[in-house]
Amino acid sequence: MSRNVSRRNLLAKIGAALAGVLVAPVARTAKAAVQKVFVSTGAAKGYDPTKHRWVMAIDANRCIGCGLCAEACKKENHVPEGPYFRTWVERYIITKPAPGSGAARGETLVDCPSGGMHGYPEPAVPKEEIQHSFFVPKLCNLCEHSPCVQVCPVGATFDAPDGAVLIDPKYCIGCGFCIQACPYGCRFLSPITKTAEKCTLCYHRITRGLKPACVEVCPTQARVFGDLKNPAPEDPIRQFYENNKVQALKPHLGTEPRVFYAGIDKEVR
Amino acid sequence: MRPKFKIPPQVLRILLLAIGIVTSYSIARYFLTPTTFRQYGWYRGEALSELQAREPMFAGKKACEECHSDEMAKLLKHEHKSLSCEGCHGPGQAHSDNPDVKIDQLNYGPCVRCHEANPSRPKWLKQIVIKNHYTGSKCTECHVPHAPTEVP
Repeated sequence: MSRNVSRRNLLAKIGAALAGVLVAPVARTAKAAVQKVFVSTGAAKGYDPTKHRWVMAIDANRCIGCGLCAEACKKENHVPEGPYFRTWVERYIITKPAPGSGAARGETLVDCPSGGMHGYPEPAVPKEEIQHSFFVPKLCNLCEHSPCVQVCPVGATFDAPDGAVLIDPKYCIGCGFCIQACPYGCRFLSPITKTAEKCTLCYHRITRGLKPACVEVCPTQARVFGDLKNPAPEDPIRQFYENNKVQALKPHLGTEPRVFYAGIDKEVR
Repeated sequence: MRPKFKIPPQVLRILLLAIGIVTSYSIARYFLTPTTFRQYGWYRGEALSELQAREPMFAGKKACEECHSDEMAKLLKHEHKSLSCEGCHGPGQAHSDNPDVKIDQLNYGPCVRCHEANPSRPKWLKQIVIKNHYTGSKCTECHVPHAPTEVP
């Protein structure tokens, strides 16, 4: 191997090194230019998602089944007409067991006509045969181990750092895996956008310091919303945890929902 | 002398093709992956600000109080203090931004929405069977919604 360094050789080497140094910024500029065309840029942020941990809780003792929450959610989030809901209110009726049957509980009847938005018809069983009846508002359970996030093949649904489980509508391909994966039935395929949709905890509201629409309109504070990273002891969510014995839905599935319910029966799924 | 090793041309072609495919994929991925992908995790960080950008429909009780503080003061003295204005009156962001935009007029629907008797409703809630209670046209003939214990 020759050790001679000719002038031509040296110049070529310097040129190559310079080109190498220059390529990086050129590539970065080119990337920015390409992304301007193909990938849109988002709005400016005045909100740090790592500084919050939003969560909702439901006090079913206080729910009167007015359905204002389901209706407000539809209006606030422009949820399509028809059987599509981001939140809804189910009516549970547990009948008395037949006298002398030796059973503790009778049948469980669940209904939810149009999400509970327009009230409930007369119960299918007469009042005297009802052992227990109550309303259960439902929404995204904000799982710690969300099955919907695990199955998404394109990274369109995700656990945001502030606790919301969200969908990137630009990345969603509408395959519907997440809809099948959600054990709580909280997702649907929008007939308009053909992408999956779900409760976002009214992300555009909570990031502005407002409450989610359903919490805002609830007349009895059956829905409690708060920030677990808020150190103030008077945060409604802390009050709720202190004053209630709580349970999660379908705990045997290991999804670890962060939405806790107070005042529901074992029949609620 | 051993013959010099030469890559057979058919292998060389496949090799070059493979390198070409991987290189073009890497270049395309570099340029098309949004910069905010993996900002917080395996998703587009920008999606957060895009979801955030939507305008609310419900203004919230505080916004109502800014102008209607007298009504709010009255409401807070009575049993309906926990009610949200927009629960009965409907979404009010447009009205809050521009007071000339009228908010929906109410009928007596919102009253029975909560107070119509239903065996599933909790016992602490005051409930009526509307056809036994009053057959007139308006709840407000006898009740003041903002002050339920008062008589008009």
